[in-house]
Amino acid sequence: MTLRLGRHVFEDDATLMMAIVNRTPDSFYDQGATWAEDRALERVELVVAQGAEIVDIGGIKAAPGFEISAAEEMSRVVDFVARVRVAYPSLVISVDTWRASVAAAVCAVGADVINDAWGGADPELVDAAAEGGAAVICTHTGGVTPRTRPYRIEYDDVVAAAIADTVAYAERAVAAGVSPESVVIDPAHDFGKNTFHSLEITRRLGEMVDTGYPVLVSLSNKDFVGETLDLPVGSRLVGTLAATAVCALAGARIYRVHEVVETRQVVDMVSSIAGRRPPRRAIRGLQ
Amino acid sequence: MTRVVLVPGVLALLPEYASLEDPVAELRAACLSAVAWLGSGPVEILADSQGERVARALLSARDPVVEVRGPLGPSLETTAAAYLVVGNGSACRSEKAPGHLDERAAAYDDALRAALTSRPANWPDIELGKGLLAGLDGIVRLPELLPPGVQAQVDYDDDPFGVQYWVLRWQW
Repeated sequence: MTLRLGRHVFEDDATLMMAIVNRTPDSFYDQGATWAEDRALERVELVVAQGAEIVDIGGIKAAPGFEISAAEEMSRVVDFVARVRVAYPSLVISVDTWRASVAAAVCAVGADVINDAWGGADPELVDAAAEGGAAVICTHTGGVTPRTRPYRIEYDDVVAAAIADTVAYAERAVAAGVSPESVVIDPAHDFGKNTFHSLEITRRLGEMVDTGYPVLVSLSNKDFVGETLDLPVGSRLVGTLAATAVCALAGARIYRVHEVVETRQVVDMVSSIAGRRPPRRAIRGLQ
Repeated sequence: MTRVVLVPGVLALLPEYASLEDPVAELRAACLSAVAWLGSGPVEILADSQGERVARALLSARDPVVEVRGPLGPSLETTAAAYLVVGNGSACRSEKAPGHLDERAAAYDDALRAALTSRPANWPDIELGKGLLAGLDGIVRLPELLPPGVQAQVDYDDDPFGVQYWVLRWQW
C-alpha cells in the first residue's frame, strides 16, 4: 500500500529511516545531548545529511521519571517542530507523544506523523491526528500505562496480541478519519514486553507484515538487545543491527534509529538480498 | 541502403542486471542511439547467445518494437537492410580487468580497431583474441558483410573496466 505520511508520499517498497531527536534532558541513550534546542536542530541537520527521511521528535523519555505536564511537553516540542518545518520542508516530521492535546498542537505547526508509542492510551489522539492530516503509528504495549516498565507481563501469544491490538488501533484510527494510507503499526519492542517477547516479535515479524499495514520497528539500543548480549547502552549497535537485518528481511518499512548511516546500510543490503532493491552500482562480472 | 551497428556484449546493459546507478550510462546511451539509427524495420543479429540477449534488450528499447531475427547461420545469405553485431575487444587491458593485464591486449585491440574502422580486409588473429577474452563471435562475421573500404563512424571507443568497447556504425 502507498504510504502517506502527512504531506509526503512514498512508494510501496520504500524503506525509511526515522531518526530519533530527543528534546529531553534525560533520555536513556544520549542523556540529554540534544536537550538544548540548538543542539537538537544540529541533530536534525546531521541526520538529514545522513539520509534520514523522517525525524521523530520526543519531549518525554519513555522510562519512568518526573511527571511532565502536557504544557511542559508542548513547550519542549511545538516551537521546535515549527522551526524544523521551516528549515526542512521536504522532511517528514514525526512527534513521539501519547497526548491528544500535544498531537493537535504539533499538527498545527507542521507535524506529519504522530508516533503514539504508548498504544492509544489517550483515546482522543486519533481524532487529533485525523483533524491535523497526520499519519499515526499504532503501537502495541499490552495495555500498560505510559512511562511504566513491564512487570511480570505474559501473553498466550505475544505476536498474536501485537497484531490484534495494533490492527484494532489502526482500524480505530481509520474510523476516526485518518487516511488508510497513513496508518503504520509497530510491535514496540521492550514496551510491555520482556526480552523473550521482543525476541519472538523480531523472529515472527513477518506475521505483522502480512497484515498489509506498513510496519515500523524501534530496536535501537534497547534493553532486549542489551540483555541478549549482556551489553550496556553504548555497546549495543551490533546487536541492534542484527535485529534490524532480521526485521528488514521480514519486510519492515520504517526504522526508528539513533544511528542512521549504519542502519541504512543494513536495510539496503538486506533489501537487495531479498530482491526488493537493485544494487547501487553493480559491474563485477558484467563488463 | 544497408546499415550495420556494432555494440559490445556488456551484460550490464541487460534489464535484469540494472543497478540504481547505471555503471554504463554513457555506453548505454551510445548503444541506444546507434540502434535507433538502424530504423524501424527488421534487424538481423550477429552475435553469440549472450550477445543476442544484449541485442534484443537494446532493440526492445526502441519504439516501436519491430521484428528481430536471431543470429545468422554459418554463412551470410541474406539481404537484410539492418544488422546489429555484438562484440568487443579484449578484456585484459588492466590489472583490474576480468582477464587481468595482458601486455598483448592493447596492440590486439589497436589492430582490431583498425580493421573495424578502416581496413576491414585485414583482421587480427581470432585465436589470440579469444585468448584475450575478446567477444568475437559476432565480429568475425563482419568481413563477409562489410564492403571493402567502407568507413565506420565511431560513436564510442573506451575501456572503462579494462574491456575494450566500441559502438560503430556503417552504411552503404
